[in-house]
Amino acid sequence: MNPIVVGSLESSDCLITLTPHPSRKIAIESIVYDAYHDAIHAVIMSLLDDYNLQRVHVLCQDKGALEYTIKARLKTAILRFKEVHHES
Amino acid sequence: MSRSFLFIPGDVPRMIQQLEIFGADAIILDLEDSVSMTQKDEARHLVESFLRKHHYQNPLIYIRVNPIDSEEYTYDISTLQNLRIHGIVLPKASLKGIEKVAKDLPQCKIIALMETPEAFLEIAAIAKHKRVEGLLLGAEDLAQALNLERTEKSDEILYVRSQVVLTAKAFKKIAIDTPYTNLTSNEGLLEDAQKARQLGFDAKASIHPNHIDTIHQAFSPTKENIKRAKRIVAYAETHHTMRFSLDGKMVDKPIIEHAKAILDAAKRYRLD
Repeated sequence: MNPIVVGSLESSDCLITLTPHPSRKIAIESIVYDAYHDAIHAVIMSLLDDYNLQRVHVLCQDKGALEYTIKARLKTAILRFKEVHHES
Repeated sequence: MSRSFLFIPGDVPRMIQQLEIFGADAIILDLEDSVSMTQKDEARHLVESFLRKHHYQNPLIYIRVNPIDSEEYTYDISTLQNLRIHGIVLPKASLKGIEKVAKDLPQCKIIALMETPEAFLEIAAIAKHKRVEGLLLGAEDLAQALNLERTEKSDEILYVRSQVVLTAKAFKKIAIDTPYTNLTSNEGLLEDAQKARQLGFDAKASIHPNHIDTIHQAFSPTKENIKRAKRIVAYAETHHTMRFSLDGKMVDKPIIEHAKAILDAAKRYRLD
C-alpha cells in the first residue's frame, strides 16, 4: 500500500511518512535527535491522539523543523491517510 | 502605511519562520500561485499552524487565498477563520469576489489584486467597497490576458498603473504596484520602483526578499525632502501663515500638507 508522504527534506522542514501498521509506531530521524527526540515524539503522539489514529507507522525525518511545522506536516499527513484508508 | 508587500510561499517553512528578518512592512503568505495544486493542503496547514503560534503587527500579515470560484477557496476560508491576520489578498478580484470575502471573513481587510481586464471595468466599485484597503496591480497575469509583452521599461502597463493609482486615491485606499520580476538587476528594480513612486503608488509588491531594501529606498522620503519639509512646516508654524516664499519658490496649503505627510512618513520609517 502506498505510503502518505508530506513535507520535504529541506532545511527547517521535515518529511512525514505514514504507512498502515497493526499498532501505533513512531520512528524519528533528526539532525537534533539528542536534544529534541522526546519533544518531537510528544508532538507526534499528541496529534495522533487528537485524531484518534492508532494503526499507523509514522516516520518523521526532521531537518530542524520547529514545532509548528511538525504539527502542520503531520496534520496534513493524517488527514490524507484517513481519507485514503477511510478511517473515521 | 506599508511601503513593501513581500509574497512568501505558504508551503516553505524556512521562509515563513524568517518573515520578520526580511524587513518588509507587510508579508503576504501565499496559498495561490506559488503553491502547487498537490500541496495546497500542506500550505494551508503550515500557515494555520504558524499563525496560531505567532502573532505579528509588524510586519502586517496578509494571506493570498485561492480564487473564489475554486474549491480551494472554500478550504482556505475554513482554515483561516479566527486567525489573527491583518487582511486577505484576493486574486482575480471582482466586486462579486470582494463581497464574498467580506461575508466569509468579516474580521479581515481586503486587498484587491487587479489582474484581469474585467476587474478594470469595475475598478471604482471594487475600490469603493468599505472592506477594501487597497488595490494591488498584478501586471503579469493582466499582460497575459491582454496579450501584452512585458518589457523592462513597463511602458505597456502605464495606463493600468495610472488607473490603479487614480482610483485608489479617489477612495483613499492604498495603491500597490506590481512586483518587479527580474531578480538579477537591482538597478532595474530601483528604476521601476522610483517610476511607480512618481506615478503615485504608495507601495510595491515583491516576490523576493532581496528586493525589500531597494523598494524602501524608492518609497521613503529622501534626506533632502525631509530637510526641506522640516523648514516648510517650521516656517508655517512660526509665522502662522499658509502662504509664503521659501528659497524663491511659492509655498501654500497643499505644499505644507505634503511637507507634513513627508515628516509623518519619516517618523514612521524612523528616518527623522
